[in-house]
Amino acid sequence: MSKSRLTALFAVLLVGVVSVVVAGCGSSSSSSSTGGGEESTASSGGEPLTIGSDIPYPPFEQGKPGSYTGFDIELMEAIAEKIGRTAEVEDTSFETIFRDVGQGKFEAVISAATITPEREKAVAFSNPYYLSEQAILVKEGSEITGIEDLSGKVVGAQQGTTGQELGKEKANASELRPYPEGPDAVNALKAGTVEAVIIDAPVAQNAVEKSGGVEIAEKVPTEESYGIAVALDNTELLEEINAGLKEVIEDGSYTTIYEKWFHLEPPKEIVG
Amino acid sequence: MSEFFHQYFDFHIMGAHFSEVLEGFLKNLLLFAVVVVLALIWGLILALVRQLPGRKLIPLRGLTIAYIDVLRAIPLLIIILLISGGIPYLNFLPKDIRIPHWFGQPDPFWYGVLALTLVYGAYMAEVYRAGIEAAQGGQMEAARSLGMSHSQAMRHVIVPQAITKIPAPMLNEMISLLKDTTLVSVVALGESVLVGREVLAETFNSSAVLLAGLMFLVITLPAARLVDKMIKRNQGKITRGAHIEVA
Repeated sequence: MSKSRLTALFAVLLVGVVSVVVAGCGSSSSSSSTGGGEESTASSGGEPLTIGSDIPYPPFEQGKPGSYTGFDIELMEAIAEKIGRTAEVEDTSFETIFRDVGQGKFEAVISAATITPEREKAVAFSNPYYLSEQAILVKEGSEITGIEDLSGKVVGAQQGTTGQELGKEKANASELRPYPEGPDAVNALKAGTVEAVIIDAPVAQNAVEKSGGVEIAEKVPTEESYGIAVALDNTELLEEINAGLKEVIEDGSYTTIYEKWFHLEPPKEIVG
Repeated sequence: MSEFFHQYFDFHIMGAHFSEVLEGFLKNLLLFAVVVVLALIWGLILALVRQLPGRKLIPLRGLTIAYIDVLRAIPLLIIILLISGGIPYLNFLPKDIRIPHWFGQPDPFWYGVLALTLVYGAYMAEVYRAGIEAAQGGQMEAARSLGMSHSQAMRHVIVPQAITKIPAPMLNEMISLLKDTTLVSVVALGESVLVGREVLAETFNSSAVLLAGLMFLVITLPAARLVDKMIKRNQGKITRGAHIEVA
């Protein structure tokens, strides 16, 4: 008797779990399809263009699965629309992102990725869509005013980024800590376990506005530009993306997206 | 397929970064060595408090049980993040405790020590408990009826027997602990996985991460064999009519 009751209880639990899982899958897929649905009708239901991006990295990429947004994401959606396809963004980890696009896990990468000679050996980059600076982010009232003050200090950066490289080359820090995600480094700064963070200027600006308690001590020009990456042999897609980017810049939607996310005018080097 | 092998078995990259990854792995071992001592002590304290007799101590026992259950029920990764993100804000503590740099180790190391000790203390408390409960079987009553106090009975009768039963399950916990030291990489401690991922970011090749995995194998595989042997030996005892194997 008690055994059959136990079995019944187990069956009920199992049905419950399964229905929750099924409902969860259903709702997430429906929400993602409604998220991209409006755009897909606009772009005449083109074939999906799979995009890899390391989320979160506000304001370039942020949001929850199914409703990712940010400067990169909106720009990529606009470019995809120009080439008659629908951007489908997938969250991935930055340090494997170039390997994965090379192996075809997704077709293109837009992830605030700086064009560097080393990376160009692994992937092909589009024309620059963004010019970047690095920022030295510190706690409000810190004595650190520039990169030369980082000597002997504990400094944070995001693993595998240009900020980390800049730290290695120029900061002379006592310890340079590579955090898995940018916000982890900013949190460590706020908690006081690192004294400065070297990170992309817009990310630093966003941290200043959203989190408070931190300020930018210095912006370091790096002559860096961001590009959209595709596999080395995927020249066809690369040409399409370059053409789409040009159209998006010419029809003014680039400027609209730029001003929306950075509260700044886009640089002349890009919009001409 | 050859790309797969190149991605994970590039012996040139493994060789070029061997000493860095090994240095990271030594950090895993150091973290393990510190935590294993602390967690064995903390776990024993928890297990003994849990076994304390008497009505008056019900709240204390309840708290201990709650601690053991909760700490085992929350993912270790979350505990590490909470501790490294939370402790620096406890302004009533001196800075040397909030952001410890003791014995030349950076603060993420000590946050890792605290998080792993808190969690593995709870796991190990359960192993001790299983040992203590297996050793009881009327012996507590027998010892008490001979005039021993609860703590005397524990110290002279129960715990010495429990200790002989727990090495195998305890060693299992230690294997898990060694592997879980890699989770502290999330707060930027330069251990083997973090170093491996650094190399990955530099070279776009995962071989250094696999190399870190191989270093763990060298220690954990023989340890797992040893656990098996111990369990077999204990089973031999059961068939000869000895106590039942625990956990």
